[in-house]
Amino acid sequence: MRLNLKIWRQAGPDGAGKLVDYAADHVSPDMSFLEMLDVINERLVKQGEDAISFDSDCREGICGMCSLVINGVPHGPDRGTTVCQLHMRRFKDGETVTIEPWRARAFPVVKDLVVDRSAFDRIIAAGGYVSINVGGAPDGNAIPVSKQVAEQAMDSAACIGCGACVAACKNASAHLFMSAKIAQLSVLPQGQVERTTRVVAMIAQADADGFGSCSNEGECEAVCPKEIPISNIARMSREFTRAVFAGK
Amino acid sequence: MVSGLSSERQPGKLRYTDENMSSRIRVFDSSVGSKLLIGLTGLALFLYLITHIAGNALIFLGADTFNTYAHTLTSNPLIPIIELGLVLVFLTHIFKTVQMFVRNKAARPVAYAVKKPAGTPSRKTLASSTMIVSGLWLLLFVVLHVQAFKYGLEYEAASGVRDLYRIEMETFASPLTVAFYVVSMLLVGSHLWHGASSALQSLGLDHPSWTPRILAAGKIAAVAIAGGFVVIALWAHVTGGAR
Repeated sequence: MRLNLKIWRQAGPDGAGKLVDYAADHVSPDMSFLEMLDVINERLVKQGEDAISFDSDCREGICGMCSLVINGVPHGPDRGTTVCQLHMRRFKDGETVTIEPWRARAFPVVKDLVVDRSAFDRIIAAGGYVSINVGGAPDGNAIPVSKQVAEQAMDSAACIGCGACVAACKNASAHLFMSAKIAQLSVLPQGQVERTTRVVAMIAQADADGFGSCSNEGECEAVCPKEIPISNIARMSREFTRAVFAGK
Repeated sequence: MVSGLSSERQPGKLRYTDENMSSRIRVFDSSVGSKLLIGLTGLALFLYLITHIAGNALIFLGADTFNTYAHTLTSNPLIPIIELGLVLVFLTHIFKTVQMFVRNKAARPVAYAVKKPAGTPSRKTLASSTMIVSGLWLLLFVVLHVQAFKYGLEYEAASGVRDLYRIEMETFASPLTVAFYVVSMLLVGSHLWHGASSALQSLGLDHPSWTPRILAAGKIAAVAIAGGFVVIALWAHVTGGAR
């Protein structure tokens, strides 16, 4: 199959970028989307041109590195899927495909389709951890956690930190990302010690980094490759209320 | 615990830290605190609209009932205090939403060349995408509306109370006024279509089986409230209040 690609090219953080047209010939429907870009890049390198920069790592949908907005939807048209798990059979022969980076003030473009997501690291560093001293490796079942709570925490912990939620949100909000971590730790016994300070500090850090707020549209949930629901965001509201008004 | 949370965590300065968290203003300046305040004031305005449409519906019972209701309501000594509260709620809602809109716009300085709605299970609608437009229109509407009815003409009914019924009939005699009201009420419906259930989500209300019902109830309420006001305006225009 043949595709007309419009790919965002930007030389560096400060440069002005633009969409550049590329023709992708002889694309196999069995290729993954990233393989298709690899093939284009091989051609560009052979021609002595600058390869298109994009992030990827595991290519099996679990690392959260790949980050492309394809035809206006982060991670492309498939639900609950990262770009690396998107395949070319999902596209029609002759289709025009626009590829852009995540767009947010807090995620500055490094080059082409690569953005700097260290703002997420700063949010986690602000409170997304458990720092109680537990001594040596504890026995696996020393702290009982009910099946229901374990499942609930795991659903939130499934976040791979890719940032698609921010990319999809009209406000470039990080609320789904941070609420998933806040929710996960708020239901587990290990997370109780820092429960109050965590929610306040993480929200403050996200605000300081220039992410927007939340309009409850749920675009984030719809593009999340791990299908993390916005019920986490409601829980974050409750945790915040508890922290600042109940003071505990 | 959070000491050391300061500017070293680049970039930008934190708006508040654990040390000065007692400041409620700073709490409400945060992205989540803003949502709480917008949700709370929005919910209050929604509840007010329910009492408003219930009271207005009394117009179908005739001039005497309607005027007596209006007089009983406005002569209550608590009304000025409630009105002041309502104004504060209204202004807070506007200030926080406009502030949030400006900050949200700043969070994405470079727009996408192509951007599409993500589809199910997203709740994004035309209504949710135009909250700032419907909201600002309603600000204009409320100013004109209060001017026309609260501070408008002073007819006296035979019973000695203000003849609000006559004012309403005369106001809606004009097709232009009716059109303006109908458009405005459709925008009320649009605002509530997203806003009613969104307010509860902002306040943290969420439940696996209740959330779908809340979402549906918000839309039903939006149609009922907006529809009710539209019907009253059209009815007043068509019948001219055949007394």
